[in-house]
Amino acid sequence: MSAEAFDAALAGGAIDTATGIPKSREEMFEFYEFIRKQTRDAESKAGEGGLEFPAGYMFKDPVHIEADELGDPVEFLLGEMDRHGITKVITNVDDGGNGARAVRDHPDRFAAGIGVDPNEGMEAVRRISRIADEFDLKSVSAFPAGLYPQVAVNDKKFYPIYAKCVELDITFATTIGVPGPRIPFAPQDVAHIDEVCWFFPDLRFVMRHGAEPWADLAVKLMLKWPNLYYSTTAFAPKYYPEDIIRYANTRGADKIIWSGYFPAGLTYDRIFSELPSVPFKDEVWPKFLRENAIKAFKLDQ
Amino acid sequence: MPESADPKAGAYFDAWHGGVVDTMIGMPASSAERNTKHYAQMNAGILDKEAREKFTFPAQYMFKDVPDYGEVDDPVALLLAEMDRFNITRGMINVATNEVARAAAANHPDRFIASFNADPNRGMDCVRELEIAVKELGVRSAQVFPAGLLPQVPINDKKLYPLYAKCVELDIPIFVNAGVPGPRVPMACQDVAHIDEVCWFFPDLKFVMRHGAEPWTRLAAKLMLKWPNLYYSTSAFAPKHYPADIVHFANTRGADKMIYAGYFPMGLSLERIFSELPSVPFRDHVWPKFLRENAERILGLETA
Repeated sequence: MSAEAFDAALAGGAIDTATGIPKSREEMFEFYEFIRKQTRDAESKAGEGGLEFPAGYMFKDPVHIEADELGDPVEFLLGEMDRHGITKVITNVDDGGNGARAVRDHPDRFAAGIGVDPNEGMEAVRRISRIADEFDLKSVSAFPAGLYPQVAVNDKKFYPIYAKCVELDITFATTIGVPGPRIPFAPQDVAHIDEVCWFFPDLRFVMRHGAEPWADLAVKLMLKWPNLYYSTTAFAPKYYPEDIIRYANTRGADKIIWSGYFPAGLTYDRIFSELPSVPFKDEVWPKFLRENAIKAFKLDQ
Repeated sequence: MPESADPKAGAYFDAWHGGVVDTMIGMPASSAERNTKHYAQMNAGILDKEAREKFTFPAQYMFKDVPDYGEVDDPVALLLAEMDRFNITRGMINVATNEVARAAAANHPDRFIASFNADPNRGMDCVRELEIAVKELGVRSAQVFPAGLLPQVPINDKKLYPLYAKCVELDIPIFVNAGVPGPRVPMACQDVAHIDEVCWFFPDLKFVMRHGAEPWTRLAAKLMLKWPNLYYSTSAFAPKHYPADIVHFANTRGADKMIYAGYFPMGLSLERIFSELPSVPFRDHVWPKFLRENAERILGLETA
């Protein structure tokens, strides 16, 4: 393990598979209304006590960008990417304009993703097809615990979406494990993934947001299912689960994908100051920072 | 139905003369062939000794005089002749697993409607094959026999959802057995109650019940009233046994929802069906819809 290996890998460029176009503090607060409406505790509902961001209790210094320092959000993000050696990010194009603009204006730096709500039924399926016609769509993602109503990862409502992803050869990514916001965790139980990978063997499925506390099961399932991956979204590098690091260093070097959590909860400054201390073996770094993302999301095709 | 002096007069015969679409008909086969090929999977799920050893047809105890052919030289010619005898202009046949039927559908597109029998246990392979069958073989419907699958798949099970989604995309109806199945296998997967959730989640899906929906025919009628794209076909039922709830619904608000289907040669002769049909107490306006028009509409045959 060496800092040189990390530096050498980063020199080849890093890819972040889940980045949002920055929003001002007020816009972010408004955006999180979809979570607040499902919370029951007073702090979450009011957005107080450190819960302006619904998972705020988990983070020191969550990202806050004041409206007057944001400027053009796409340029702002490009500046952050350049500063840290991030060559490409996947961002949602269904966010009301900026994401789509970023992908259109800078196709070498931005790849297209969308978020889906299976509660919409066939309309969600049709939207995937529509956007795939318009963009080179690389990622369809969901936040099962944050949906209203919640939808478990192995729920039948997801099946037409999984089928469409297989048909169009697009990668599916989902938050998994106990969610930060104070809402029930059951729909994001890692155990649900087993059945989905069995029924859809061709579906490329990427876990997001930690899979905790079932990281050991996540590893076991990645060993079992060739198309199952793990990305490190929402985790500061010093908190990467040990099971995941050990797996990356043993049989899972091709399965673990770096991702940040900007602008939702972590600054790139913090992420890149902690990253070199993660005890990955030398050969893991280029796969982790870039190559696995390219493979799992077919970014080179 | 009012008594008529001339037994060949009246609304039934007027409608019948216009031609019948039979949404469930099959290729006659020798009894040996049908046991070894067509019922093999079904028999694998049957545990009782009588059905396994003595029945040549898994639901045999329900039917008198199951059609039986010792040997069949030309099943297509035999079927077409039977259809002609009873003025069946078109018959819907499963082409998914039957080579003879596939050839017949290709050679007689004016007489046969190709349907694709799907096994959702096969996941995306089945979805892909359905799409190819629609685009390349002219298939106009999907069909599923939930209780006959191994393992069984409930009507509202997630395994069926990609298939339902594909039917919506392809704009084809799906015909699904509902109600207690005749073969001695568990019924739970065909509970009519399961249909409610499917019609809710797939409002554009044209869903046609098959094989009676018994004993939940009141619920079947209630659900047809609730869901615009839910239909009922009379497959596997001799006309004298059509459920009273269904006949009543057809005569009141459900005339557009009832689709004739027979069960030849699986369990009923066309001779029996068409001798009993005129006695079904449908009101006059129901007959042409039941015998032909409703099937033509949901199968897209009007423009064909």
